Amino acid sequence: MEGHQRNLPLYDRFNARVVGVSVDDVITLKYWAKSLDLTFPILSNVTGFLGASFGVAPSPEIKGFPVFSRKTVIIDKKGIIRYAKDGSPDFKDILLFLKKMHKEGGKP
Amino acid sequence: MKKRIAMFLCVALAAMILSACATTETTQKPYKLSQQGKVIWNDEFEFSPPPPGWKLIQVEVGGEFGFGFLRADPGQFPSQSMFVYDEEPFGCSTVLGERGEEFFKRYLWTTAMVADMKILEEKKVNLLGGEGVAMVAEAKDPVKKEKVKSKVVFGKRGDRVVAFYLTQWRPTDGTYDPSAFEVFDNFWGSFRYLKKSFYQTLVEDP
Repeated sequence: MEGHQRNLPLYDRFNARVVGVSVDDVITLKYWAKSLDLTFPILSNVTGFLGASFGVAPSPEIKGFPVFSRKTVIIDKKGIIRYAKDGSPDFKDILLFLKKMHKEGGKP
Repeated sequence: MKKRIAMFLCVALAAMILSACATTETTQKPYKLSQQGKVIWNDEFEFSPPPPGWKLIQVEVGGEFGFGFLRADPGQFPSQSMFVYDEEPFGCSTVLGERGEEFFKRYLWTTAMVADMKILEEKKVNLLGGEGVAMVAEAKDPVKKEKVKSKVVFGKRGDRVVAFYLTQWRPTDGTYDPSAFEVFDNFWGSFRYLKKSFYQTLVEDP
């Protein structure tokens, strides 16, 4: 998440906004975000339905509890998923993709 | 232009992060030696190599640093020294001193040395042709009976903060080895960029 925080000016340049999603509760996330000085929204989704909606694979480590693996999803202004990758975020890949989307948006 | 900007105003990037693990692996040689005896790393960096005894370490994806060198030191566990170059040091501030405080809060936590951490020294240095900040910190863990001393030098590559850091672990009654700090100072002092960074290219190229 710190990586996303460091990249906020670049996301802004490409007219993108970042939102984090976690199955942790609001209070936990509030203090966690504060400890990392995060300024972008972190959504608490304790039931995990958002993860399921975006096809995030349940973690194999804790069965019966809605814990999900990492996934990065980029959604365009129409609500269409344009990018989805499992695992730790590849920030350079994300930024190149956002730059490409931004360019495409400028074409007539 | 305003229309262009407005078109993607609603683009959202959602990152679902619940757990993470850095993978440290040694890879095939991404470097070569110049005629002057400098290391040319991926045609992007140049620096003086450490003396024999330092083993190359590298993180390939999603790690906590780029590459560096590790040395097993004489004495009981956890006697070892490691120094690295990191383009994504812990923390977010672009103010070097502030970044240092953020860095130590996170970094010494990852070294499992949260107890009794103190910043011993902070001073300005010349780094990469610009202004840098060098900080020295020490942490002790009375339960594990271990201690760690770390020197971090922060500088800028374009708009972004980069860091060089050395960490030396010892048992509580162990003695730090200043020679590792000299090798480290030679490393960051000799460091040069041979081309623009990814981030510089990203914002400058159309």
